[in-house]
Amino acid sequence: MASNTQPPAKRVRKPAQPKKAIAHDERPVQKQPTAQKPAQGDGFDALLQPFYSGKSLTDPIDTAKDKWNLLPAFLKVKGLVKQHIDSYNFFIDVDLKRIIKANQTILSDIDPRFYIKYTDIRVGWPTRSDEDQADMARHQWKSTVTPNECRLRDTSYSAPILVDVAYWRGVREVRRKGMVIGRIPVMLRSSRCILSNKTDEEMASLGECPLDPGGYFVVNGTEKVILVQEQISKNRVIVEKGTKHGIVQASVICSTHERKSKTYVIMRGDRIYLKHNFLNEDLPIVLVLKALGIHSDHEILLLVAGHDSAYQDTFQINFEECAKLGITTQHEALEYIGVRIQMKSKPTYHDYRRKYVQEAMEALSNVIINHVPVRGLNFRPKALYVAHMARRTIMAYHDSSLVDDRDYYGNKRLELAGQLLSLLFEDLFKKYNHDIKAAVDKVLKKPARTEEFDCLRYLNLQSNHITAGIQRSVATGNWDLRRFKMKRAGVTHVLSRLSFISALGMMTRISSQFEKTRKISGPRALQPSQFGMLCPSDTPEGEACGLVKNLALMTHITTDDEAAPVKKLVFVLGAQDLCTVNGKDIYVNGAYIIFINGTPCALTHQPRQFINSFRRLRRSGRISEFVSISFNGHHNSVHIATDEGRICRPLIIVEKGRSKVTARFLQALRKGKIGFDDFLSRGLVEYLDVNEEDDSNIAMYESNISQNTTHLEIEPFTVLGAVAGLIPYPHHNQSPRNTYQCAMGKQAIGAISSNQYTRIDSILYLMVYPQKPLVKTRAIELIKYDKLPAGQNAIVAVMSYSGYDIEDALVLNKASIDRGFGRCQVFRKYNTILRKWPNGLEERVGDPLRDPNGDVIKKHALLDEHGLASVGESVQSGEVYIMKQTPINPTASNGIGSDWGVGEYKDTPMTYRLPDPSYIDKVMVSCMESEHKIIKVLTRQTRRPEVGDKFSSRHGQKGVVGLIAEQVDMPFTDEGLVPDIIMNPHGFPSRMTVGKMLELVSGKAGVMAGDLQYGTAFGGSKVEDMGDILIKHGFSYGGKDFVTSGITGESLPAYVFFGPIYYQKLKHMVMDKMHSRARGPRATLTRQPMEGRSRDGGLRLGEMERDCLIAYGASQLLLERLMLSSDAHVVDICGTCGMMGYSGYCQTCKKSEGMTKMTIPYAAKLLIQELLSMNVVARVGLEDEFPVGEGV
Amino acid sequence: MDYGPMDVDEVGPRVVIRESFPDRADFVLENVDLAFANSLRRTMLAEVPTMAIDLVEVDENTSVLADEFIAHRLGLIPLNSKQIEDVLYTRDCDCDQYCENCSVTLTMHAKCTGDEIMKVYARDLVVAEPRPNEWVGNPVITDEAGLGSVICKLRKGQEVRMKCVAKKGIAKEHAKWAPTSAIGFEYDPNNKLRHLDYWYEIDPIAEWPVDEKNASWESEGGVQQSGEPFDYNAVPSRFFFDLESIGNLEPDAVVQQGIKVMQQKLAAVLQELAGDENRNGDAGGDGFGGQEPDGMQGGEYGVDQGYTTPYVNPGATSQWGGGATPYGATPYGQSGWNQ
Repeated sequence: MASNTQPPAKRVRKPAQPKKAIAHDERPVQKQPTAQKPAQGDGFDALLQPFYSGKSLTDPIDTAKDKWNLLPAFLKVKGLVKQHIDSYNFFIDVDLKRIIKANQTILSDIDPRFYIKYTDIRVGWPTRSDEDQADMARHQWKSTVTPNECRLRDTSYSAPILVDVAYWRGVREVRRKGMVIGRIPVMLRSSRCILSNKTDEEMASLGECPLDPGGYFVVNGTEKVILVQEQISKNRVIVEKGTKHGIVQASVICSTHERKSKTYVIMRGDRIYLKHNFLNEDLPIVLVLKALGIHSDHEILLLVAGHDSAYQDTFQINFEECAKLGITTQHEALEYIGVRIQMKSKPTYHDYRRKYVQEAMEALSNVIINHVPVRGLNFRPKALYVAHMARRTIMAYHDSSLVDDRDYYGNKRLELAGQLLSLLFEDLFKKYNHDIKAAVDKVLKKPARTEEFDCLRYLNLQSNHITAGIQRSVATGNWDLRRFKMKRAGVTHVLSRLSFISALGMMTRISSQFEKTRKISGPRALQPSQFGMLCPSDTPEGEACGLVKNLALMTHITTDDEAAPVKKLVFVLGAQDLCTVNGKDIYVNGAYIIFINGTPCALTHQPRQFINSFRRLRRSGRISEFVSISFNGHHNSVHIATDEGRICRPLIIVEKGRSKVTARFLQALRKGKIGFDDFLSRGLVEYLDVNEEDDSNIAMYESNISQNTTHLEIEPFTVLGAVAGLIPYPHHNQSPRNTYQCAMGKQAIGAISSNQYTRIDSILYLMVYPQKPLVKTRAIELIKYDKLPAGQNAIVAVMSYSGYDIEDALVLNKASIDRGFGRCQVFRKYNTILRKWPNGLEERVGDPLRDPNGDVIKKHALLDEHGLASVGESVQSGEVYIMKQTPINPTASNGIGSDWGVGEYKDTPMTYRLPDPSYIDKVMVSCMESEHKIIKVLTRQTRRPEVGDKFSSRHGQKGVVGLIAEQVDMPFTDEGLVPDIIMNPHGFPSRMTVGKMLELVSGKAGVMAGDLQYGTAFGGSKVEDMGDILIKHGFSYGGKDFVTSGITGESLPAYVFFGPIYYQKLKHMVMDKMHSRARGPRATLTRQPMEGRSRDGGLRLGEMERDCLIAYGASQLLLERLMLSSDAHVVDICGTCGMMGYSGYCQTCKKSEGMTKMTIPYAAKLLIQELLSMNVVARVGLEDEFPVGEGV
Repeated sequence: MDYGPMDVDEVGPRVVIRESFPDRADFVLENVDLAFANSLRRTMLAEVPTMAIDLVEVDENTSVLADEFIAHRLGLIPLNSKQIEDVLYTRDCDCDQYCENCSVTLTMHAKCTGDEIMKVYARDLVVAEPRPNEWVGNPVITDEAGLGSVICKLRKGQEVRMKCVAKKGIAKEHAKWAPTSAIGFEYDPNNKLRHLDYWYEIDPIAEWPVDEKNASWESEGGVQQSGEPFDYNAVPSRFFFDLESIGNLEPDAVVQQGIKVMQQKLAAVLQELAGDENRNGDAGGDGFGGQEPDGMQGGEYGVDQGYTTPYVNPGATSQWGGGATPYGATPYGQSGWNQ
């Protein structure tokens, strides 16, 4: 580290040549005055910087290389964490209003005049919960609450939900504005957060890190992330084929605000049925279609099978069944269905039973395939939908390749925070309204009232339900919404603040709803359709492998777009309304059905032309850029999607073999004249979702463009996510190594955020001297890892040394450690709440105890006059840091009949338990929302690396420190350069991490040239150039050096691969794990030693170890380990009855004759007694080991 | 600056100083064996005593950095260690904790009162008097602005007030006592001894650049003498040193101190071997005794007391790193050696 790695000045073997510009792909950063950008101050200025670096504005633009400049521009408006924020904003601004509209009025069953009507809803600015909204409005002041205050005080960062209501009071309508109906947690950096649109300086003054991505909530002081949830898409038909019995089924999960249901069209044998939970039995498909108003059998045949005779033959038999039932008319069909509807047992108190036909009509329009609305008894759209499902079934029956792939990403939808909160809010809001209605009805039922009835107080009264409901769900992660048949646990997670990368990685994480135990590989496998959307490397190992994924750098998740205008536009573009089309014409050759969000809507005969004009409209900005259109040749259909949760990414549009992004536009982008949105609005770049991507011909590089190319990638390295983006030269590594690094990068100790010293987290690891990597990547710059790095550039010698380096162990230079290599700080929080009881009693902090001489006792030496540990003191195991005192009888009513006086307290001190001492770093006293006082004590340890600490490079190569060697013993180059780390070369052949070698070479060249090199995926500094730099500076081009042994002074017989590699210190340190015990505490029940280091537990001799000892025959050792050293217990056993007695007396036989003392495990004694308590007798039969009379 | 070869006995060690700067010395050591040369290198790296801050008393620290963080930084500041012999090791001093004989006290007191971020530099360390001599304990400041290394930064209202106690120590205990940043060491630039097995693709001579300076020194003019027969009996005897000082000691002082420390260590070995008889080094009866590296002789060490180099058995120094000597047990402080 630091100074010893610096080669002595002017020691080059060849005279230094004047530096020439190096021709490689990515120019190194040079300190030049960079381009002037309009002051934006949103923290993205710096982000936009690197791509100007090394180039002045007048430099020629090479579109092939510089088009990646679009990426920072994209990240400025979208991407990574932005989707959470966008989704939340959408919920606040749009979805809330929709929910209100759908549940606008509350009516009373008692008084028909009564109503409450919501006219508007909005979310205010975040406040403290005790701040009065009305007061704030009156006196024109704004809350000063900051997220960091909430984190420190264990409160929630939330804002009031305000509604405007109009309600009936007495004889007239009363309007009220700004009623608070509850509080909702505010997502950091969302439009409702005080951090939105703040400059870096303002962020700093609010105590917030400008680099913090936001997108999470602060609930009760903990940071909670709502993970992106992956699901199979709603309202889309999925056709599957069963493995046996030839079952083919088309299913659709229908989801609307009112109801969620699943409908199947299933082909069993050769017959097709409609299946739904609402129906007692499956209905023949022809019957359903009849009930949906298609009278003619011929029409049915045409709607399902079209003109294809094979399909017709397959479908034919279905008519038979319907005919057998004798059903020919719609009325008969409805009657038949009505009988088979599952009746809700609840009879309405009007005691009126609808007729079966009406029941069936109701079910068909509102329950079965409920997302296709039935307006004015027009069942035609629904009939077409059912017919389409039937057709898909028949198609799949004929051709197995036409089944849908559930794992295909076009069939997946991602649910974000906004959607989940929207569901939660809707559920709670409905309950809120229901409760108000019940309360109002209760009052209105009474005939006479003393005062005029004002329902306002009921509105206020119930508001706690919404607040508490949302907060509980976000805090626990349990989304339990019976109304939507949703019961999910683990939706939210505590934001991991282990490192900056782990926090960022968490924000891009996607968890899927599959069970982790299922052994199928399909959902876990890497899908080709994930290309560019999800990171191929970043997934955990083990049970969640492939189920937890991460977004790639350029992905965006759509929010809901209005479908109605799109539908109108479809007709404007010349498509025919499907409802007006005769069955004969739907499936004729050259007719293509246009689906909007999976529902057949229109028909066109020029699909290509239709798609092109549709796209043209979208590129010109007439339709939202997130509406996708794609062509499906298998089904002769065109699909338009406007729904939310589709995953998409931007691509450059190519027309007539030429990329539309030209040097002119890049120049303008570089000057800051245009942004990413301008690229969109000018039709240079567009978003493609997975389905549309499948319909496109995308060129990876500009040189690949042909006449058929439709799009061009912006930058290949965006296939990787944020976490995998840290790896230099990942394209040279074996792929699992990149995955390992993705897991380990999150455990690396480094800088967490720029407000890290003001935070009080339960555990915080910080590195004392973090360094930015010498070999960086574009992604590192974009996510600003170089501002909050987690690692150090170590000079590594790849050689064998001493034998303490086997099995990936590392040898560390002691001098490097002395100078600060791998040094880290560990902060740990201890907090306590001083409770208050309703009777006025409360816990308090007492004075330190004193011995008779008046000196503070040793245990309390740290405490100051407040009873709290002083900042800066060293705290050892057993010492008290908070002298807390609790009332002896807190629930006592004032004195009467209680044993203790009210004023009496007992000590309940907080004692430091860890074996290693710490310093007191901070002591915070504050007050929570519940008015209880809270005391947080932060302790700090500074640790230097020791043998057993874990380190890793950025290539999935982890190792523990095996030896800390003296600097003089380390090998050195002829310049006297000593490595910080010696790594065993055996780490390379089997791992095949060529990227690590390239990192070393590039890093070494960078050091010699005095700049930073790039290891960007699919690009980066070229090895040839690096070799040239090395040769220029008198080194071997391969990165090898001549090395002398420090021990003997003799030169080593071989050259050694020697240079800087970025090493991360991982959070696993021996100090936290080292444990041993000779004797110690035992569990109360079994009297066996406790388990775990935290309880000073024993080291378990497990079953497998036991097996070994048995096999070896070490019976005495077994006896000692399993009984004598564990829970040996002496019992008295009666030789007559075999039961346990005590003191040499048998309770059962009532005599002391034949009692024997015996040592058995206490657990065995417990078992016998427990059996006894269940009326099972376990007798111990005794036998004399040395019977009398058998000689001596 | 080119000192010619000294007129000394051919058998004895010979030193040629090729280049010398305030912080660097480039010299060639000849007529010694490899073990000796490496021992010298090792001693200079790790066992030459210097001064460094070892104890910090924090009176006030409201900066963002933790106490031990700043203490560590303070420890790494190089302090002038000229004539360190005047300073006692604290463990050898008869004071309780530390005193002016065995330590130098530096105080740092800085408070930021302006709106700008204030940097605290090594120059802000105030050395307390009295101290063992007039140089010892001064922070080494080599930059043009005269600031020295940055200790910490302060924002408005933040303050650091610390009392730092600098003590004598060696780099073996902690790298902060290191007198050198690196020592270049080479003995066979042309690989005549074949200690190195070239790895090459086509042509080792073309692919492996040699250190021209050392190579030409060795073979007077020509860099590479190909075709020369391989002398398998040859042993290395010429060592190219390139020593860079951190600034706390001058490079020549580092070398001389290194030699002295080595002498002391060897003397201690001898003494142990000789048992109670307490013989002198040349009593070993071999022909090596009394050889002093004349070229390096400062005139003040070793010779004045009539001691001869206890350079008994070349093989004896090659034991593993000298690590057998625990820190506390080195006989550095023995009376009679330090005067």
